[in-house]
Amino acid sequence: MTAIAESGVRTWTLANEVRGRAATQPDGVAMRAKRLGIWRDISWSDYADNISLVGHALLSLGIEPGDRVAIHSENRPEWLFTDLGTIAVRGITVGLYPTNPAPEVEYLLADSGSRVLIAEDQEQVDKALAVEARCPALECIVYLESRGVAGIDHPKLMSWEDFLARGAAHREAFPDALDRRAAETQPDDVVTLVYTSGTTGPPKGAMLTNANVEFASNVIVSGGGLYEPPPNASDVILSYLPLCHVAERAVTTWTNAVSGAVVHFAESIDTVVVNLREVQPTLFFAVPRIWEKLKAAVEVRMAAASRIKRLNYGIWMKVGNGIAQSMLANGGRHTVWSRIRYGVGYVFLYRALRDRIGLRKVRAAASAAAPIAPEVLYFFFMMGVPINELYGMTENSAVATSNRQGRIKLGTVGEPHPGVEIRLDERTGEILTRHPGSFAGYWNRPDATAETLDAEGWLHTGDVGEWVDGTHLKIVDRIKDIIITAGGKNISPSELENAIKASPFIREAIVIGDQRPYLVALIGIEEDTVGQWAKAKRIPYTTYRDLSEREEVLRLVQGIIAKVNEGTARVENIRKFRMITKALDHEDGDLTATQKVKRSALMVTFGPLIDDMYDGTDRLAGGDQSNVVVVSRVEA
Amino acid sequence: MSNATASSHRTTRGRPQLFTSYAQETAIFNTRVKRNWVLVGILVMIVLPFFMQRDMVALITTVFIFAIGGIGLNLLTGYAGQVSLGQAFFLGVGAYTAAVLGGESRSGVIGLGWDMAIWLPLAGLVPALIALVLAPLAMRVRGLYLAILTLGLVFIGEHIFKEAKPITGGAGVGRAPADPVFLGFDLFANQTILGYRIDRFTIFYLACFVIFVVMAFAAKNFARSRFGRSFAAVRDRDIAAEVMGVSLLRTKTLAFVISSFYAGIAGALLSIVIGRISPETWNIFLSIDFLAVIFIGGLATISGSIMGAIFVVLLPKLVNALTPLIPGFGGVGEGGILNVFELQSIIFGLLIILFLILEPRGLYGLWLRLRNYFKAWPFSY
Repeated sequence: MTAIAESGVRTWTLANEVRGRAATQPDGVAMRAKRLGIWRDISWSDYADNISLVGHALLSLGIEPGDRVAIHSENRPEWLFTDLGTIAVRGITVGLYPTNPAPEVEYLLADSGSRVLIAEDQEQVDKALAVEARCPALECIVYLESRGVAGIDHPKLMSWEDFLARGAAHREAFPDALDRRAAETQPDDVVTLVYTSGTTGPPKGAMLTNANVEFASNVIVSGGGLYEPPPNASDVILSYLPLCHVAERAVTTWTNAVSGAVVHFAESIDTVVVNLREVQPTLFFAVPRIWEKLKAAVEVRMAAASRIKRLNYGIWMKVGNGIAQSMLANGGRHTVWSRIRYGVGYVFLYRALRDRIGLRKVRAAASAAAPIAPEVLYFFFMMGVPINELYGMTENSAVATSNRQGRIKLGTVGEPHPGVEIRLDERTGEILTRHPGSFAGYWNRPDATAETLDAEGWLHTGDVGEWVDGTHLKIVDRIKDIIITAGGKNISPSELENAIKASPFIREAIVIGDQRPYLVALIGIEEDTVGQWAKAKRIPYTTYRDLSEREEVLRLVQGIIAKVNEGTARVENIRKFRMITKALDHEDGDLTATQKVKRSALMVTFGPLIDDMYDGTDRLAGGDQSNVVVVSRVEA
Repeated sequence: MSNATASSHRTTRGRPQLFTSYAQETAIFNTRVKRNWVLVGILVMIVLPFFMQRDMVALITTVFIFAIGGIGLNLLTGYAGQVSLGQAFFLGVGAYTAAVLGGESRSGVIGLGWDMAIWLPLAGLVPALIALVLAPLAMRVRGLYLAILTLGLVFIGEHIFKEAKPITGGAGVGRAPADPVFLGFDLFANQTILGYRIDRFTIFYLACFVIFVVMAFAAKNFARSRFGRSFAAVRDRDIAAEVMGVSLLRTKTLAFVISSFYAGIAGALLSIVIGRISPETWNIFLSIDFLAVIFIGGLATISGSIMGAIFVVLLPKLVNALTPLIPGFGGVGEGGILNVFELQSIIFGLLIILFLILEPRGLYGLWLRLRNYFKAWPFSY
């Protein structure tokens, strides 16, 4: 690839892709962002112009190749402008989760040594200013929204408008500065640090290069690895998951730049449901948590619907069940008969149902980033939204396997993409991948890099997998999470947890049993759905904790667990459970920024709950397979 | 179509809630389906008179005219929240303006015989002007007091109409209406167009339909404008509206003036359908008919006014057709417990009461309910 660069052809970068589109279709819509109730078009030429302005502004701030630029913002056009502007000057983008609390912001800024920070609003600026003294490399904080920030007098603060004005002035003075940088760009330039979520230790910054991104884009975007058939300019995307995660980067930034699909930015994570209905995307990517929520929302609203509507739903979901079965038997494709049934059901239910939840126009959907319960996938299959479960991780640029149309196997993450080598470690069953998308290493952590990427180029994923029918890969669990009971049996907790979480009433389920005689679970309820359920049953409650400890709720949870137990072997039965009486939260350190449970932290926080189960005492609210433990109010 | 709009269009098509501009959000037809149905409706209404009995054609012409007056009253009462019983007075002023300007001078009444292109706009403008003069008085009061004040207007008007003999012909005598000759083309005479003979009722039907469609769209367009929104603001809370910078006097006056303009046009056309107009025509009962139009049809909706007009005009016909089937009710001039007109009045009264209690949004509200049932499908909310 270096040969190409030397022969005068530009190195492939995302910024060049956008520039190419701006040249061929300057007025085409690249993205839309909602402001004051209106989705405003941003054309490809606007996009390219903003990238150039950001690039020049960064040059004027003295950003040299390899310097880091951090972005701490929700998804919005400026995120993409900054990301690609940074790439255009051979800098490295570092994404921070909007929910990152100040201490994590400090860690990420200090670890990456970011020189410039783009902070969205007062909330993020406050976090940055609180830790700025301990991040010596940080020279400039650019804020996007001036409300509440304009009054702060700080030498490092600068508004986005001033930042762009600097860029414009610099462009005036040095019009060919960006071109020179672009000409120097190499395929192995690091373009971004994607920090791993850090369920076990402090986050590590995975370095992805231009070549990594190019390979990943070719495989999962143009190659149809993510959505089949591959995206094009008439596709519509809703961007709402954090862009600092490699998955959202792939489905928003990369897909947009490579295919021209129009990105719509959700106003915030809270308005996704509304925005989804407005935008009606044709391509939809969600993490299992979102799919679970969508399913729960449908079930709860259906339960509250009138008799006739419930009857209609019941009939057509039953038909949908038949359709889904015939499709799955056929690798995910319609047969003539299933298409006819779907066509009739489309009039009565599927169209309206999909429209209400914003999936009417979805032609391809995907789920990744965490294991998902097959029941959830099946639910969407029934209404005609086949979800492609795929597998990849930050360290391999999200490139590993996916379910290909016509060859879908539910419960697996599909087959390796073309050009991807995958094998299982003979001893541990760990999944190893090898392809040009393997990352360049962890930022400043050669030790960790050496552990992950071996001398032969195999990437050790840390996931245990197994082959299904010799073609499809099934993920068992993270190596570190596998439970080995005192009886010596290997059990994958995430499978059980997902089965429990498939119920709309359960938000968190943590199965425990490593080195223990039997399995137990910590259960956190979904406040919305259980609250509504309680209201319908006329059960009074005050707080989340009060609701969690209600006898009726404990019986409900007991029933859900009993149902899961029916489908598993005796050793995998969950014997006892206790209620988590607070909503888990990123700021409290219970969850990672991607809402993954930090197991080790929870073992400590909820130690008393676990001890209560294994000591055989009944001090805290929960239950076993036949009884429930209600904590008396007075005692509590 | 340029490349840009093509790609923009491709990614917004079929997404009625994806607004990329405010114009799109306030469009009269926010979906193609709605627009197409209205187009179909218009085509059906144009073809309809050629397949109907003459009296039905005349009756539906009355529906259009009542709809015009109803829309006017709805702008004032439904949108701006000012209850008015004075609609009959403005209908009368419109009718006499038209008669004087467009009618013949005969047996002691004035008639200038001008063309319809002149008298029709003036039939609206003169009542509007009178409303403008009266507005400072009427707009000082609100609610019930305004209703009483406008009621007074009807009585004063009726008295003036009876006395102004050169204009109205006087009580019990009346006069002939204006001649609907538009730019030399008589809209109320049998005509031969492209070799087809079209009777005068159909011609006038089509003329009224065109006027009605234009005025309905104008009202619909007005209601979504800045002024239309200020009407709603005044209706919902006048003090809050004033705090937001909506001038109460100006807004109420505007509502009053526009409403009277619509009433004047409706009055002029109605007088032609009636054929000979006497001052007693423009009494309180006509005002109540128009209130029935908007209450039964639905407040603050243009489509509701149309539905209400259909209902109010066609109900007597329906009652007429059904009475012989009900034992105990006599037809016109026959014996029995009640005659047709009494039964009609009872039904109107009952309907207004029932609608106010059960569905204040009127027929349009019933339609909304039905629509919302399917709008939320497959959910219930």
